[in-house]
Amino acid sequence: MALKGLDIFKLTPKTNCKDCGNPTCMAFAMKVAQGAVELDKCPHLSDDVKAQLGDATAPPMKKIEVGSGDDKFTLGGETVLFRHDKTFVSKNFFATWVCEGCFDGKLPLIEKVDYDRLGERMYVEFLNVVFTGDVEKYKELVAKAAKTGRGIILDVGDLDAAKAVIDAAGSRVILNGANASNYEAFSALATEKNAVLGVSGASLDELYDTVAALEKLGNKNLVLDVTGDTVKATFANAVQLRRAALKDNDRTFGYPSIVNLHKIAQGDANMQTALASLFVLKYGSIIIMDEMEYSQALPLYGLRQNIYTDPQKPMKVEPGIYPLGGADENSVCVTTVDFALTYFVVSGELERSGVPLNLLISDAGGYSVLTAWAAGKLSAGSIAKFFAEFEIESKIKSRTLVIPGKVAVLKGEIEEKLAGWKVVVAPNEAVELVKFFREFKA
Amino acid sequence: MPFKQVPQKFNAKINALTIGVGEKEITLGGENVFPFYTFDAPIENSPKIGVEISDLGAYTDVPGIAAYYAGSDTLPEIAKRASEMPGADFLAISLDGAHPDNGNRSVEDTAALVKSISDAVDIPLVIEGSRNIEKDAKLFEKIAEALQGKNVLFLSAREENYKSVSAAAAMAYGQKIGAESAVDINLAKQLNVLISQMGVKTESVAMNLGSAAAGYGFEYVATTFDRVKSAALAQNDNMLQMPIITPVSSEVWTVKESIVSEEDFPDWGPAEARGVSMEISTAAACLAAGSNAVILRHPESVATVSKLIADLM
Amino acid sequence: MGLFDRVFRGSAEMYAKAEAELTAAISELGESAPMKMPDTAYFLSCIYAFLGKKVTTLGELRDALAEIQSKMTTNQRLKDVFTSGIGTAMAAEVIEATKYARTPTPYDGTDYHGHFSDAEVRELGVPLVTRDIPGFVVIIDPAPTDEEAVALIKGYQARGIFVFLIGGVIDQALRGGISMGFPVRVVPVGPDIWAVGHIISLVERAAMIFGAVTPGDWEAFTEYSFHRIFAFVNAFSPVSDITVACGGGAIAMGFPVITNDKDDMWAVPKSLIIQPDTTDFIETSLEARDIKIKVTNIDIPVAFSTAFEGEIIRKKDMRVDINGARQDCFELVRSRATQDVEDHKIILDGPDIDKFPEGGAMNLAVIVDVYGKNMQSDFEPVFERKFHSFLNCVEGIMHTGQRDIIRIRVSNAAFEAGFRAKHFGEVLYSKIKSEYEAVVDKCQVTIVTDAAKLKELRAEANIAYDKRDMRLQSMTDETVEVFYNCILCQSFSPSHVCIVTPERLGLCGAVSWLDAKATNELDPNGPCQVVTKKRPIDERTGAFEDVNEAVQKYSHGALEQVTLYSILEDPMTSCGCFECICGIEPASNGVSIVNREHTGITPLGMTFSEMASMTGGGVQTPGFMGHGKHFIASKKFLKAEGGIARIVWMPKALKDTVRDRLNKTAKELYGIDDFVDMIADEEVAEDAEALLEFLAEKGHPVLAMEPLF
Repeated sequence: MALKGLDIFKLTPKTNCKDCGNPTCMAFAMKVAQGAVELDKCPHLSDDVKAQLGDATAPPMKKIEVGSGDDKFTLGGETVLFRHDKTFVSKNFFATWVCEGCFDGKLPLIEKVDYDRLGERMYVEFLNVVFTGDVEKYKELVAKAAKTGRGIILDVGDLDAAKAVIDAAGSRVILNGANASNYEAFSALATEKNAVLGVSGASLDELYDTVAALEKLGNKNLVLDVTGDTVKATFANAVQLRRAALKDNDRTFGYPSIVNLHKIAQGDANMQTALASLFVLKYGSIIIMDEMEYSQALPLYGLRQNIYTDPQKPMKVEPGIYPLGGADENSVCVTTVDFALTYFVVSGELERSGVPLNLLISDAGGYSVLTAWAAGKLSAGSIAKFFAEFEIESKIKSRTLVIPGKVAVLKGEIEEKLAGWKVVVAPNEAVELVKFFREFKA
Repeated sequence: MPFKQVPQKFNAKINALTIGVGEKEITLGGENVFPFYTFDAPIENSPKIGVEISDLGAYTDVPGIAAYYAGSDTLPEIAKRASEMPGADFLAISLDGAHPDNGNRSVEDTAALVKSISDAVDIPLVIEGSRNIEKDAKLFEKIAEALQGKNVLFLSAREENYKSVSAAAAMAYGQKIGAESAVDINLAKQLNVLISQMGVKTESVAMNLGSAAAGYGFEYVATTFDRVKSAALAQNDNMLQMPIITPVSSEVWTVKESIVSEEDFPDWGPAEARGVSMEISTAAACLAAGSNAVILRHPESVATVSKLIADLM
Repeated sequence: MGLFDRVFRGSAEMYAKAEAELTAAISELGESAPMKMPDTAYFLSCIYAFLGKKVTTLGELRDALAEIQSKMTTNQRLKDVFTSGIGTAMAAEVIEATKYARTPTPYDGTDYHGHFSDAEVRELGVPLVTRDIPGFVVIIDPAPTDEEAVALIKGYQARGIFVFLIGGVIDQALRGGISMGFPVRVVPVGPDIWAVGHIISLVERAAMIFGAVTPGDWEAFTEYSFHRIFAFVNAFSPVSDITVACGGGAIAMGFPVITNDKDDMWAVPKSLIIQPDTTDFIETSLEARDIKIKVTNIDIPVAFSTAFEGEIIRKKDMRVDINGARQDCFELVRSRATQDVEDHKIILDGPDIDKFPEGGAMNLAVIVDVYGKNMQSDFEPVFERKFHSFLNCVEGIMHTGQRDIIRIRVSNAAFEAGFRAKHFGEVLYSKIKSEYEAVVDKCQVTIVTDAAKLKELRAEANIAYDKRDMRLQSMTDETVEVFYNCILCQSFSPSHVCIVTPERLGLCGAVSWLDAKATNELDPNGPCQVVTKKRPIDERTGAFEDVNEAVQKYSHGALEQVTLYSILEDPMTSCGCFECICGIEPASNGVSIVNREHTGITPLGMTFSEMASMTGGGVQTPGFMGHGKHFIASKKFLKAEGGIARIVWMPKALKDTVRDRLNKTAKELYGIDDFVDMIADEEVAEDAEALLEFLAEKGHPVLAMEPLF
């Protein structure tokens, strides 16, 4: 059971000295409880208190950072098995599996699939660079891979090869090669080079023992490769690890995971799409695929963005004018809120209608229409303010504005605030929009 | 020290719901563990896949689907071809042509059409509505009568028409019904309570908890499914223990990713590959979250999702 | 002779007739002759249902009749009346069956329908189950006049009630030109009283088809018809013994009998009702069987849609202005006794809109009287508050305010279209009947525009408003029997559950105990459910076993326990829509409250949104709690920690909002005057040091209180 903020507060100096960067000890304690701040930030805690709190406040699953500074990748740190219990915190990453012979062929796609979705960069964050026997060539390959600016997973079980290439991999590197027989040496190398160590085992028991041994050596900077011989075994491993850590409080398995689809579904792109989707939901931290085609990226990154949305903080789209269906300045305006789901559903229906329309998104706090209206974030005033800020009247000549059916109540007020505009009420449900606009006469 | 495995096997279980008759009948649900957690306890009935056609024909605006149905001209032929798709466990018929804005085919004619399909196939049928609530109530009554003894599942009974659908399909003719709600555990439960208060046995009911394409608010789908399964298994909430059936295809084949042309979005590549990928990804995510059956269209998706299920069982 | 004896005599009569008919049929056709009713899979379904016997030959029918006779016992007990009554119905089935033994179409060439096929049972059964057909009536024998018969049948038709006719009333309907048949929902079943056998057959098959009742389970059949088949009987005077016996059967199945026969008749409450006035048959019958007629259309000359909710009527477009601030205008809902309310009666007392000057002022009051078995006066304000959205949805009508500060404008266009004062009544009648179906049986609207009367009525209305307010203020958590939960917000905060009590409203500020109660009664499966409070654990913190069980259930296991009055011990969770958050300020041992609108920092070193992120989402965070503004002045606020004296800081705007009520509570609890002035705000303190200084200066009571922890 995680400690409550108040319990932590009781053990702080209660001096509000601000040395931790927080204005009060209470604020500090609450943040520690949330896992947002490390206990160490307070310089005034006695060792006794630290020891007392350390175990209790340590997250059941470690947060692992690959690299440092602004461009680091953060893995793990999850506290719940289901996002509705709180939220998932560290989104999973995708990796492309590359080898000596195939790297050049795969590079164009790796570079092409790199786009923005709701303010988030969507691209393959890691390259899994596999060692195939020739150390020199491997070194070349690693260097080439590192030049792409992606994080590097060194898929290598040979210690000498690993030693030879690790410097070429750059600062964001996972050395994935430790197992029951070689972990000491690999751990030493990873520690020396400040790399995250990837660990695997022939069975969960073996993996468990290896992790325990590594922890004994003092290395807690690990990710666990859970890929098994089959799809079924891999899924079972991924679930069991995460569940042991979060539900059964077994911290030995409290590390992020690697799932290598190249091993269990090689060459079957569709199957990899299916499996990647499965592991986005169920506990893959890094998912390695043969390639990431655009057609795969579209659903997978969308799915990931959805699953890793904080239930308390809905996704938002930027306020602005979104011309749809070839709309120009003479096209009718339609307005709705900036809640991403509303935007997607409404814009999708508007596009399907085939009617050119200007979709105007105003800042409504990321809430749905009725919630925003109830919270006062969507009102005649907020719409008028948006019109002024974005200079709608100088950018658009149409003077017809269609508002969501659920806020029909705003019609009169909007007409009062926007002189010269005709306000029309749309149907209540998005599915009725296609018919509505096809029959619409401005 | 070996890893101490703590299996999560629940005393409660998901209801087992059988549709169809004879050799090819299928059973949805029956498990007492989370989706695909076979390491906790065996799962008797694997999730099932339905192939969807429209009462206006196959969805031939996608070339791969058109190619699959090439040579099948009449609806019974198309249905038969669909039923033979590798991986298909049941056939789902969407009554698009009965919608008032889309031809408005009469209730009697639609029932006759569905009967002709039923006669042509031997796998279980799922009858999806016309997406017009009032018309669906009438359609289901007539079709339930026409398909007496076939043990078909009707999708869906909604808050607005559950009384008619329950009375006509489930009670008068002993068919199965799906209770449809909009991605919310409490709405789902409320509808199930209302349907059971009508006198429909909970064993005759499946749930369509709603869906969304990957990227389109799927977090609500995942969370609702997670919560429903938790409540059903961990809390033994018998008003949420119905198996979940999820029409995936109707969600994924309408989103931008699946329909915009390659000319407009050259980077994205061919539309069909995107649509298939959306269908596979969404179906896999639904299954991972708890669907006991998914409804799909494209032969490639059906093949892949079928393999996924087989590999995980 | 008593009613019981009339039943027994009638049932013996029916049996004798059945025996005679069956004997004749057997001697004519032989014992082994097949006995099959057409188009049914349920044999002779009354016999199949009640006795579990599958009759397929006349010989088997004779055996069944013997068993029927054995059920016709004649002890002076209600039970015997019921079994004899049902025996009578089965005997009637036997009589009719003998006709079908001879030919499958005995009623061909007559005006009578006779036996119902399974298809017809299903066709009628579906709308009966869904209540699209709210019920059916069996009318037996001729009405006193043809006109009364026609009026009665048409009256039922207009209400969507399915009508079965037996005996002389059929001839009256024919003479009255009523079109009959299954599709028009008026069916002439047969000329003799034994035609009831067909109707009971239909009822029992419905029970088997729709209710899956097991044949032979006598009690399950009467149970099913009582709960699920909304039927009743209208029997006209003079009622024969045999009809009385059938009536006994009807009552046993849960179908009340309404008659105008006063001779040799004994009223039985809810079951046998003597209504001498046949024009009141319909209302009496519907009430007896508890049938409510759905209202779907609104009879007004302009459109009604939510799309018009936001319409603004400008002065130049306005026909009349109804303004409570200037004239005597008001709106009032009253719950009344049944005899004081006539359903759908709309009264205009005073001149209509056209008599008032164009573009000028008009005085008007709307009084809505409702009656319902489940109506409670606590719902009056709930309905009243909805007038605003009901009337605003009318095209050309603008409505604001409530009680006697209403303002209504009627546009010229609406007036031209024919909108008049009575249409306010039509709108409110239809909406109240349809939206509050669960509690409103009858609704009547009075529109008063007579200036002289209005003055007096307004004063009366104000007394009613005051009475309600008094009740609200006097209501405490101790004086009510139950609390309610509210899970409206679970769609985005899955594990949160609000417990709403009279003194602690929902944290969103929008759901009071009365609102939750009304929501529950109107939508029994909806988001607000009853939470009992029978098993208190700790009065100080407001902990109850029942409340904990409810929280576990409605959070689907995410929460174990909450207290109602403590911020430290299992405080109630929050969804995220709280109006305010209250958090412990450790330096002063007090609490700081911040409302959503305040963006600045609090002495806790956190802003509203920082506090919201740790308090929301249904997570229990001791020391922090979301709540509604109204709760601040409650005597239950932080009761476990010493009450409102713990409040040390609030934004100025919030202080102003709650000032009067909070001062009052402080005076009552601690005898302190102007307590709010002792509470710091953002102008005097944004950190703990300044706060402590301020509190010391003001002599804030918290300084003398026990440490919080």
